[in-house]
Amino acid sequence: MLGSIKGLKVTLVTMMRKPVTAQYPIPSKRLDIEKRFMGFPALLWDDSNNEPYCTGCMVCVRECPTQCMSATMTDNDKFTEEKSTRKKIIDSFEINLSRCIVCGICVDVCNFDAIEMSHEHELSKFQRNANRANLESLLEMGKTFQEKIGWKPVQIKNIGDPVLRSKLQAEAKEKLKKLNSTDAKVDTKPEDLSK
Amino acid sequence: MSWQNLVFYVLGAVGLIIFLSLTVMVLTWIERKFLARIQQRMGPMRVGPHGLLQPIADVIKLISKEDILPSWADKPIYWIAPLAIFVPAIAIWVTIPFSETLVLQNLDLGLFYIAAISVLSVLGLVMAGWGSANKYSMLGGLRAVGQLISYEIPFIMAILGVAMLSQSLSLIDIINDQSKIANIIVQPIGFLIFLAAGLAELGRTPFDIHHAESEVVGGPFVEYSGAHWAIIQLAEYVNTFAIAALIAVMFLGGWSWPSMPFSGIPHHLLSVIWFLIKIYAVILLIFWIRGTYPRLRIDQLMSFGWKVLVPVSFINIVFTGFVRFYNLHWSILTVLSLITIGSIFYLIYKTPQQSRGENSIRIVPSKEAASRPPENYGDVNVR
Amino acid sequence: MEINKNVNESGSMVDMLINMGPQHPSTHGVFRLVLQLDGELIVDAEPHIGYLHRGSEKLCEAESYSQVVTLFDRLDYVANLNGELAFCMAAEKLLELEIPDRAWYIRTILCELNRIASHMLFYGVYGLDAGAMTPVLYGFRERERIQSLFEQVTGARMMHNYIRIGGVKEDLPSGFENKLYSVIDELDAAIEECDELLTQNEAFLARTKNVSRLPIEDAVNFGVTGPILRSTGLIEDVRISEPYGIYDRFDFGIPIGNTGDCWDRYYVRMQEMRESLSIIKQAMKQIEPGEIQAKMRRIVRPPEGECFVRTESPRGDLGVFLVSDGSQNPYRVKVRAPSFANLQAIKHMLEGVYVADAVVILGSLDIVLGEVDR
Repeated sequence: MLGSIKGLKVTLVTMMRKPVTAQYPIPSKRLDIEKRFMGFPALLWDDSNNEPYCTGCMVCVRECPTQCMSATMTDNDKFTEEKSTRKKIIDSFEINLSRCIVCGICVDVCNFDAIEMSHEHELSKFQRNANRANLESLLEMGKTFQEKIGWKPVQIKNIGDPVLRSKLQAEAKEKLKKLNSTDAKVDTKPEDLSK
Repeated sequence: MSWQNLVFYVLGAVGLIIFLSLTVMVLTWIERKFLARIQQRMGPMRVGPHGLLQPIADVIKLISKEDILPSWADKPIYWIAPLAIFVPAIAIWVTIPFSETLVLQNLDLGLFYIAAISVLSVLGLVMAGWGSANKYSMLGGLRAVGQLISYEIPFIMAILGVAMLSQSLSLIDIINDQSKIANIIVQPIGFLIFLAAGLAELGRTPFDIHHAESEVVGGPFVEYSGAHWAIIQLAEYVNTFAIAALIAVMFLGGWSWPSMPFSGIPHHLLSVIWFLIKIYAVILLIFWIRGTYPRLRIDQLMSFGWKVLVPVSFINIVFTGFVRFYNLHWSILTVLSLITIGSIFYLIYKTPQQSRGENSIRIVPSKEAASRPPENYGDVNVR
Repeated sequence: MEINKNVNESGSMVDMLINMGPQHPSTHGVFRLVLQLDGELIVDAEPHIGYLHRGSEKLCEAESYSQVVTLFDRLDYVANLNGELAFCMAAEKLLELEIPDRAWYIRTILCELNRIASHMLFYGVYGLDAGAMTPVLYGFRERERIQSLFEQVTGARMMHNYIRIGGVKEDLPSGFENKLYSVIDELDAAIEECDELLTQNEAFLARTKNVSRLPIEDAVNFGVTGPILRSTGLIEDVRISEPYGIYDRFDFGIPIGNTGDCWDRYYVRMQEMRESLSIIKQAMKQIEPGEIQAKMRRIVRPPEGECFVRTESPRGDLGVFLVSDGSQNPYRVKVRAPSFANLQAIKHMLEGVYVADAVVILGSLDIVLGEVDR
């Protein structure tokens, strides 16, 4: 008999506590999203010379476990004008977000910092194919994401503006030299310094 | 019967049904909120402040839903069953008083009437179970009957104990008899028996066997939807309210204990409020039990009914008769009751099945487990 | 298979056949059980599986090694990290990789947390099976704490894809330690509370004590593993008998029952949560900064060969048999799913019990249909 009385006590004590649940759709009462949260993938926008990071190299398309992406590349006009470091640029990109399983493999394999898991996760639609996101909407998602978390490129070599890139690279080399002169054992790549 | 009487009864019945419907709406809201708090949830929050208008939204939703008829259903039985559950639930209320004058018809055999009528709703459950042409429904309906034969005898025995104390079956007499001391103090054992049997009659946890969601999915009501389901649900809550009211009448002294210093209109008003407070306290107790207890199996309910409740209710009657016959002080009955309760709890606690609970799991440290010799079981060597 | 049907004089069956599942609320997924009932007694039961068959094992053969991890997430969708770990260990065994210590500590901490989350879900739904309404919400409350911790570390609440071949995806985030310690404190209190609410409740004891006792011999012959095997009284835990990773560095207890009834199965799991917490605490003391990924080529291409690894998932002995032909894709992946093996005993257990018990027994096996059907 003691056991059930203990149980009654537990429920009574719990009743005095505050509820732990949130009221989901109300914006002010939702739970926060963690920084690392993986929403659907989005393409990032290079502010230095106003073009996407993506060069359409198809690595993510090949590595995707569900084959939910497709992409085509084209020659970059800005490269011939020497306004960009990207010889090729993405022409069209489509992700079927209904097929995407949010595994993050595309982000891991991307060499150009071009794709990132955004915090977008609410994509209920009324049509079956309404979640096929094209290049514009993916870049839109990416821009909101970049703004939200203050995203910065991981690797200097991926910066689009040639002037800015060579400047940063020179700075990084300087730093590396300094480090090497003080402590030769520190193994630092230029990429790491820009973090 | 004069026309004034007729008008009084008709208006009274309509008023009663309206009052009960409103009460049910309040009850559903209270139950959802109370259970939510027990489970650290919020419960309904959207419709109105803190979900106060949720019951109204529910009613509108249920009424506007489609009434689905299973193609193999036994049509007349299927449609009549909700009514057969609903009518007895309302009929009980004819004789339950809210104050000394606020009662539709006080019957001298009020308790007898209630005991007789309340059984009828089980017929509706069986009809619903059979008529739905669903195996789960039928299991549920038959479970309801099995439940009935195990709780009905202790239910009536507990009523008898109270009737012996106040020497009447009229509810108002019983309440007035408790103006000095409430029956729960005189006869705690009767209260416990009636609570257990009442829970079984309502089909509420831990005795919600006939509509167990995890076993028979919803029992007799699986196939019902829309307004018919709403009526069944209405009846369930009206029954809950009735059992709570009966407990308040029979054991908590209704409005007369502890007695109030007022008279006239304030007295009547206060007695209604006081009575309702007691009813809601009992209802919260029922909801609290629902939030805590698991469900018993049907055979366990039967053995609980026949092996515990029936003998104990006989003991209760014998003790009550003993005290009444020799005109002893009521405290002797209290002491006897408490001794009985104590010994029953001790017996349950000492049953071999329960007492072994704590020691059957041992924890082997990993180092010791890693150095044990291989063992042979069946065809397999286990290392 | 011969079914002993109860027949009347004219030879027609008088027992009722009833479909429990695939749309029954307490079959824990899309599991179908055809019960032959004599009143409330079960004369015979026949389980049917395959409603959630997704061909995962075959799919593995078309995916590269890093992609297969995402499939293992979805086998046991209640304890995802344990599934990932099993496959990664198999691939690492073929590659003969040395995994850095820190990676192993991170894996162990997360897997044990996942074990607690899984058992918390079991606690909740077992209460619901037995008819109590509150435990399920308590269970989910605790699971939510662990899942928000996972969200902080792995970026996902369920399908993490966090444990990678050769290590883990990312290092623990800053501030993780404090959050983990606060979660551990909350879990400590919550397990105590859950225990008080249900374990010794008379109605719960009546429902689970002495229901479907499984002798050790039967359990071993059915291939039952995990908490169910331990509840019969056999000391068998892969973390002890074939210690993998860094489990030999911890002192923890293995809860052992002695009757193998439903209550023992339940309480072994409750105690396992406490032991998992102690493992996490020890791991947090021992963990040191360092590498989280082994030095390896980016494209995983194990040499030709085959291997079998066993891990202790919350449901039991999760084994992965991996054959490589030297290409980028595995040649064959075979999963020895503990839920599937545990489910084999159900027919034996269900004979001669009540319908209400069937629910409790099925709940005590704690099957995950994603793993049974694969």
